[in-house]
Amino acid sequence: MKLLAFVFALILIGGGGARALELQETPGLLDDIANGRLPPVSERVPLDPSIVDMVAEGKTVGRHGGTLRTLMGAAKDTRIITVYGYARLVVFNPALDLVPDLLEAVEIEDGRSFTLRLRRGHKWSDGHPFTSEDFRYYWEDVANDENVSPYGLTRALLVDGERPAVTFPDETTVIYTWSKPNPYFLPALAGASPTYIYRPAHYLKQFHGRYQDPDKLAAMVEEASKRNWASLHQRRARQYRNDNIALPTLQPWVLQTKPPSQRFIFDRNPYYHRVDSAGRQLPYIDRLIADIVGSSLVPLKTGAGETDLQARYLRFDNYTFLKEGEQRNDYKVRLWPQMIGAQLALFPNLNNNDPVWRAVLRDVRFRRALSLAINRYEINQVVYFGLALESNNTVLPRSPLFRPEYQKAWTAFDLDRANALLDEMGLTERDDDDIRLLPDGRPLFIVVETAGESTEQTDVLELIGDGWAKAGIKLFAKPSQREVFRKRIFAGETIVSIWSGLNNGIPSADMSPQELAPTSQQQLQWPKWGQFIETKGKAGEAPDMPKVKELANLLKAWENAVGIDKRSAIWHRMLKIHAEQQFTIGLINAVLQPVVVANRVHNVPVKGLWNWDPGARFGIFRPDTFWLDDVAAQSAEK
Amino acid sequence: MLNYIAHRLLIMIPTLLAISFIVFVIIQLPPGDYLETYVAELESQGENVDPQKIAFLREQYGFDRPFLEQYATWVFGMLQGDFGYSFEYSLPVSDVVGDRLWLTVLVSFATIIFTWIISFPIGVYSATHQYGWGDYSLTFLGFIGLATPNFLLALVLLYVANVYFGTSVGGLMDEQFIDAPWTWAKFVSVLEHLWIPVIVIGTSGTAGMIRRLRANLLDELQKQYVVTARAKGLPSFRLLVKYPLRMSLNPFISDIGSLLPQVISGAAIVSVVLNLPTTGPMLLDALRSQDMYLAGSFLMFLASLTVVGVLVSDLLLAVLDPRIRFQGGSR
Amino acid sequence: MTDASHDRLKHFVSDAPFDPYSVEALTAEQESYYMASQWRLMWWKLKKHRLAVICGVILLIFYLSILISEFLAPYNLHTRQTGFIYAPPQQVHLFHDGEFVGPFVYGFDYHLNMDNLRREYTPNPDQVQPIRFFCRGDEYKWWGAVPLDIHLACPAEGGTLFLLGTDRLGRDMLSRIIFGARVSLTVGLIGITISFILGIVLGGLAGYYGGWIDIVIQRVIETIRSFPELPLWMALSAALPVTWSPLLIYLGITLILGLIDWTGLARGVRAKLLSLREEDFCTAAVLMGARPRRVIFRHLMPSFMSHLIASATLSIPAMILGETALSFLGLGLRPPITSWGVLLNEAQNINVVAIYPWLMLPVVPVIIIVLAFNFFGDGLRDAADPYK
Repeated sequence: MKLLAFVFALILIGGGGARALELQETPGLLDDIANGRLPPVSERVPLDPSIVDMVAEGKTVGRHGGTLRTLMGAAKDTRIITVYGYARLVVFNPALDLVPDLLEAVEIEDGRSFTLRLRRGHKWSDGHPFTSEDFRYYWEDVANDENVSPYGLTRALLVDGERPAVTFPDETTVIYTWSKPNPYFLPALAGASPTYIYRPAHYLKQFHGRYQDPDKLAAMVEEASKRNWASLHQRRARQYRNDNIALPTLQPWVLQTKPPSQRFIFDRNPYYHRVDSAGRQLPYIDRLIADIVGSSLVPLKTGAGETDLQARYLRFDNYTFLKEGEQRNDYKVRLWPQMIGAQLALFPNLNNNDPVWRAVLRDVRFRRALSLAINRYEINQVVYFGLALESNNTVLPRSPLFRPEYQKAWTAFDLDRANALLDEMGLTERDDDDIRLLPDGRPLFIVVETAGESTEQTDVLELIGDGWAKAGIKLFAKPSQREVFRKRIFAGETIVSIWSGLNNGIPSADMSPQELAPTSQQQLQWPKWGQFIETKGKAGEAPDMPKVKELANLLKAWENAVGIDKRSAIWHRMLKIHAEQQFTIGLINAVLQPVVVANRVHNVPVKGLWNWDPGARFGIFRPDTFWLDDVAAQSAEK
Repeated sequence: MLNYIAHRLLIMIPTLLAISFIVFVIIQLPPGDYLETYVAELESQGENVDPQKIAFLREQYGFDRPFLEQYATWVFGMLQGDFGYSFEYSLPVSDVVGDRLWLTVLVSFATIIFTWIISFPIGVYSATHQYGWGDYSLTFLGFIGLATPNFLLALVLLYVANVYFGTSVGGLMDEQFIDAPWTWAKFVSVLEHLWIPVIVIGTSGTAGMIRRLRANLLDELQKQYVVTARAKGLPSFRLLVKYPLRMSLNPFISDIGSLLPQVISGAAIVSVVLNLPTTGPMLLDALRSQDMYLAGSFLMFLASLTVVGVLVSDLLLAVLDPRIRFQGGSR
Repeated sequence: MTDASHDRLKHFVSDAPFDPYSVEALTAEQESYYMASQWRLMWWKLKKHRLAVICGVILLIFYLSILISEFLAPYNLHTRQTGFIYAPPQQVHLFHDGEFVGPFVYGFDYHLNMDNLRREYTPNPDQVQPIRFFCRGDEYKWWGAVPLDIHLACPAEGGTLFLLGTDRLGRDMLSRIIFGARVSLTVGLIGITISFILGIVLGGLAGYYGGWIDIVIQRVIETIRSFPELPLWMALSAALPVTWSPLLIYLGITLILGLIDWTGLARGVRAKLLSLREEDFCTAAVLMGARPRRVIFRHLMPSFMSHLIASATLSIPAMILGETALSFLGLGLRPPITSWGVLLNEAQNINVVAIYPWLMLPVVPVIIIVLAFNFFGDGLRDAADPYK
């Protein structure tokens, strides 16, 4: 398999790496080394570092130094730096393959036994060794400690409820084994918001009941105003949220500013595990600064040149304004396509409480008619200047699973056919305003509920409303508020809602098709069925439409399938069902995201992609390889 | 006099209690609680949330306790100086509010002083040159300030300042001075940024102030003693300043009580637009995300500020104006 | 008897019958002045105040326009033209090539600049589109009942008439502003009515009865006044169930604005009642056996009703601005309802300020209305004041 081959290759490279490579000292750290606060680079970089061949990856070799500014909208956005830094046990590369990153190698057996090999000499950001002890601490003292985790193991570690067998043969080896394949394990480790199966044990032991003196612990709990030591431990251990400056990390940049603040500073991690092929320890950039400003001010500040790398909080309609500032403020605006399955999709609620509506919504002809009566071309032209793709809520062309029929099925703007389908269903009675009537005499008023957050949604609904009116259906847009919106959908009180589509629009056959099957209450088209599966039958309703049941079974089959051909076949069947059944009515995808890059920043791809998972926003493009050209060229003296 | 003060102080206590209860009810009115908002937000951005973690947090934060118990905990905590815990910031409320508070005070006082400085000469001029062109045009300008919605004006000024004066957008100072110690450069930067919020917030207050000053001064100018003084040959300016002006200063003092909360609340919207690190945006976010204790404690603070402010201004009035003292009440 | 008639001085005595009330007779003019009711006096005084009259007329025009919004607007509220998104305002010309043609606009040439994704419209001097008046345009149902299609002004056939430009869906801004008046202007009225009623009833009770009723009501007033306005609005608006229809939300917002505003009015009423309570006419009424309600509403109230009305008029602009502020925060009215506040909310972003500034034009009617109400209210108050 692709992964194993890559792994072997990496073992070869990694094993001989450090010896063959001559490491260069980082100029920004020379002071600290002279003062004895840090050891020289040969002791900071792991014995088996990850060597990045810039040229092979299409990048340029860079220089150390400089400060990168970016803008964030709230203090809790410090977690976004963890996402951008993207130091994970395994990561997705731009070709969307899973490759080891923090780990030196991963060996997989039958898809159910994972041997994780750590790098020798790998250290945390405070210099303490990163070993299997940190994994053991997580497994025994966090995940399986009833105080710290009273609710059990996280989803990715359970296969049909079965817990893994975890062993730690030596300092650099960790083995997770299940009796059945666990295809969710590695993608969860590589996620933007990953499953962490390790903790900095040497730091966190002081907050743990098993290792700390009870009186001292009680005093610490008291001082932090927490209820118990578990809560204190959890508060100090937030690796993702990234708000504890004393917490050691493996990320390329380490937080230096204690919250609360309007300005968060991150300095380079002197023990980072990646180097470039000339022996320079990454990251190139010395310092990251995240300024917290109101999200609505970000476009204005970006246009004024107050940021070096920005995409978050910029919207497509800011493009023209941002373009105007390019000359004056020395940056360029790039447009990266977003990789969600649909920017906007309609979700008919198949679990609607009203029996008449439920029958109508479950009839595939109705959903197809709704889809045919939408003029996607107009939406694309009016809102997106024709630069997006008119498509169903399905995978994007970039995905290896893409087929044009999935994208195009039932998306033509064909009012005759839509009317014919509705007539065929028997909805031929109309009222005085020429609106069709439901079987029980009520007019076909579809109330589409939105979370009320963007004018984009209400605008698109206005455009759709005109098309539907010609098919005899009246659309009412009802802006609501996010929690209420979701609650109503979960309770089956909405008819149709509008939201974004598939979170992962660029899957490969090795990634889980769980979004296509009923798996979660968050799926707005069948919340109760999703809830049923999610809670293993404790709440919700069992799926009772044959095609939906088939999707659930296909997901199970995928979880047990081994080999990319089998998985691929299952994916295609599921995608086909969705395209034919129109369970969700997608409108548009591949909408472009403006990405502002200052001219001084290099190695940011001109044509990238913008996605949360996989992608981690900038993560897969490895910001630790970005460099600034306005720092003085490196020399021996500072 | 002492009786009066004591009486007012005693009345303050049940008022504050009632306010605290109403505040708490209002915060809890929207359905759901902080965790639901938090989950909804994360999920809407595509991040998935562990349901176990949420259940754990719900228990930790005490959202499963009954309403009155949560209220009682909060009130007793406040009396002991513990203002509760902010979920959004994961910090005690006092830490979150602390920094921003003095900046809010700075902006508010700068605005009030600006309002006085502007409305005083305009009011006097208007009264002494009644119905002239100057009167009409100045009052008109003052009213324009009142009528324009603040937020739009703020955004426009922000853009203009950035394009034409090169001021960095929003905030109260240039980024590099945040968290840095006070230097002259930092002070200048603050001034550069301060003028926009002060003008935007202040203009709506000036109109009312001008109108009141003008009306009062006009009343005074028609009184007998003014005519007598003029007949006796007192020069106009001295006449104006020595007697009628002092009488008409009444509204400036009595308005402190109502001006302060008005400024703080008017400042809230503008602060959101301008991204000032003051309490307005913080309050707005807290109300939106149902960060109970942060929103509740801060509202309580604002309300107490008003009550105390009204008391102070009533007392000041009583000191300044003997008529009030002898009539035993400020009405 | 001697004949004395020719000895006396000649004097004239009228032999008309004696009218004992002749001294007190009034000329017609004087009669109308002295017999005039309080309201007539107020009206005469108001007429003298030029500015207030002008403002009153402006207000009247605006409010009357609500009745015929569909007729006044060149387009319907929801008409959109996807070929004219973000079109700038079209200038009205009278002379073309030196000739008088009548009011017309030039047609647009459209070009999409793919470099910065900007829609560029240039007026084309060859396309003369004369404006038609009293013409047939978009169909509408007047007051939801009468189907009509007559408009005051429409574009030329196949042409466009965007006097204030268009928005992001190609909807004419002038029409949206005209329709927006319906909601924005009436929000203030309903809110004022609520606060009026509350203020009079509670203030009246407090002022008339005194004692513990007074103390309780005063504390309530103080409690409400202590709240900073904005957070209270926000909190209450956030509590409005979003499942309500837009109309109910609209009523809810006006209710909130009214509920918070009544305190000022109540205090004024109470103060006046406290002083007027001691007057003789009040004592007389009580002695004659009038019940308290009658005394308050029939005798006391009318003597300061004019002052109340003036105060109320001055509160309306605060409500209008309040609705604008709430819509800005996303808490008040939202699309698809159209009000000036909603329009301004949509204009509240940097794209508009920098590139499409005509979308900020709804601020102009807001300013005009607020100013008009303020000046008119000032005039009313001056007219109502008996001591000037």
